[in-house]
Amino acid sequence: MPTTEYLKIPRERVGVLIGKKGEVKQHIEKLSQTQLDIDSEAGNVSITPQEEMEDPLSAWKTRSIVKAIGRGFNPEISLRLLNDDMALVVIKLNDYVGKSKKAIARQKGRIIGRDGRTRQIIKEMTDVDMSVYGKTVSLIGDLERLMIAKEAVEMILNGSRHKSVYAFMEKKKQDMKMKAFQETIQLK
Amino acid sequence: MAEKEKWGIANIYSSFNNTIITITDITGAETITQWSGGKVVRADRQESSPFAAMEAATRAADDAREKGIVGLHIKVRAPGGNGPRTPGPGAQATIRALARAGIRIGKIEDVTPIPHDGTGRPGGKRGRRV
Repeated sequence: MPTTEYLKIPRERVGVLIGKKGEVKQHIEKLSQTQLDIDSEAGNVSITPQEEMEDPLSAWKTRSIVKAIGRGFNPEISLRLLNDDMALVVIKLNDYVGKSKKAIARQKGRIIGRDGRTRQIIKEMTDVDMSVYGKTVSLIGDLERLMIAKEAVEMILNGSRHKSVYAFMEKKKQDMKMKAFQETIQLK
Repeated sequence: MAEKEKWGIANIYSSFNNTIITITDITGAETITQWSGGKVVRADRQESSPFAAMEAATRAADDAREKGIVGLHIKVRAPGGNGPRTPGPGAQATIRALARAGIRIGKIEDVTPIPHDGTGRPGGKRGRRV
């Protein structure tokens, strides 16, 4: 009954999706109980669920895994999406900075920071994985943290200073700690 | 298959504030049951939580089974438009709970409305000023 999903990824990422001698592809197929058909010329990927798979969501998850690989993540991190709590968010830079190539390059630079400092800080503070690739910024992580990271990236794109973005993340981190603390108290 | 198996459609609207499950018959015109995160939890901020979604989904599944539905096709939807286009935290939990409640899952489709260039995002030219 389940149906095939179609998806397109950049050509230079097809190699990563397949891996050496098809290793990565086989690994994904095994873990998610799906069948991947990859057209390496155009980068079209079709995901067909195997017969009688246990998880009805597997095709859906595999789709986001393939998408994550297409968006510049390495397969190892992408496979974290098999976990139920993990999600992928793709932010299109075009929505924030327009079509100008220069503007996109500039904002990418701002998100990554000197020697990847800003990217590093966002990753560490919010505990998400981040990939700046092409015209997109993609994030993988726990949904709640993902929202914080997304807002931080949006702040940078909207022209906030790095300093205030760090302060924002710091504040959110504290809030989350407080929330977790209060919940444990209530449970007792 | 002695009698005809009855299938329905589960429309799942999953935003960051709530999860709404509407189960209809196969035509989509007759609603069988409607459940949401807000119907099962008290606190506003828990409406969108995976737990609330699961709870709502199991109850929706019970109602559906009572009406003789054995399987559901699924249409997942995020707010869309100029809002977020990724389904919220409740979407996956809902589908899983439906499957666990013994309902067969058919096609899963994403029906998030994507504008072919519609209205502008809120915030104006100079962005949101806090």
